[in-house]
Amino acid sequence: MICDGPDCEKALSNLYLFIDQEIDTASCEEIQAHIDDCSDCLSVYDLERVVKSLVSRSCTEVAPQPLREKVLFSIRTVQVQITEQRGT
Amino acid sequence: MLACADRPSAGTREQEYDTYVSGVGLSVMTEASATTETPEERQARFEADALPFLDQLYGAALRMTRNPQDAEDLVQETFAKAFSAFHQFKAGTNLKAWLYRILTNTYINTYRKKQRQPQQVTDEIEDWQIAAASSHTSGGLKSAEMEALEHLPDSDVKEALQKLPEDFRYAVYLADVEGFPYKDIAEIMETPIGTVMSRLHRGRRLLRELLSDYARDRGMAATGAGETA
Repeated sequence: MICDGPDCEKALSNLYLFIDQEIDTASCEEIQAHIDDCSDCLSVYDLERVVKSLVSRSCTEVAPQPLREKVLFSIRTVQVQITEQRGT
Repeated sequence: MLACADRPSAGTREQEYDTYVSGVGLSVMTEASATTETPEERQARFEADALPFLDQLYGAALRMTRNPQDAEDLVQETFAKAFSAFHQFKAGTNLKAWLYRILTNTYINTYRKKQRQPQQVTDEIEDWQIAAASSHTSGGLKSAEMEALEHLPDSDVKEALQKLPEDFRYAVYLADVEGFPYKDIAEIMETPIGTVMSRLHRGRRLLRELLSDYARDRGMAATGAGETA
């Protein structure tokens, strides 16, 4: 990878701050302008974005229905205990 | 394309990097102002506000425990604790982060001990592991491999995540699946923001290498096994 200019260095060192949207607007615009021009940096950014979106896509779960019922049951049991404690 | 500045200003973030953050820590919770609320009203409010996070908390529990039964137990315990402490939750603050904080504490106090696994000292992971992981990156991915990467099955991605050290895996999960800002991840994991960034950085590097390897294998399989290098 031939990616060693000062702009490349800034873009690569702020890679995660950028894709996590943790970077200030000025730097964000500067980096955006750079990666629009630099295909080496762009490919690094693209790879990270793909990995990030893969993780997001693949790890979404739906809780099993019995768990939902157990959670509701335990909330209501705790509620009854609290009520009884107050009553005594 | 990502839009710039979707998040609130990060102007002071640099000074915060190594500052210990404890905003949603349970100890700093103040008594809810709604003391006039009846127990029945509080229960209804809890079910309406907290229960919608069930699927997400289950997903996080599954990534941490790596076992559906333990994940269910962990989530159940988390909700029971959260409900018991709900009168201490300050209305208007971040309920989702508060629930994750309880989940994380419960996991650390109960399941990590129960699993009796030697705790991985992830922040001191050997640099050679990172170096070994990044050394074969330099070539990047060919377009067929990039294509294969984008179409990796969920099971490959989950398997790769499971291979990451626990703290790296959880930081990546909180950032990429839940979309928590660094500040919230720091509060949930009770670490400085600098540590969050380091865990994300290392976790993603390892993950990227693992996934790239899967993609290369699948890309190679797709373009014909005869052309092995």
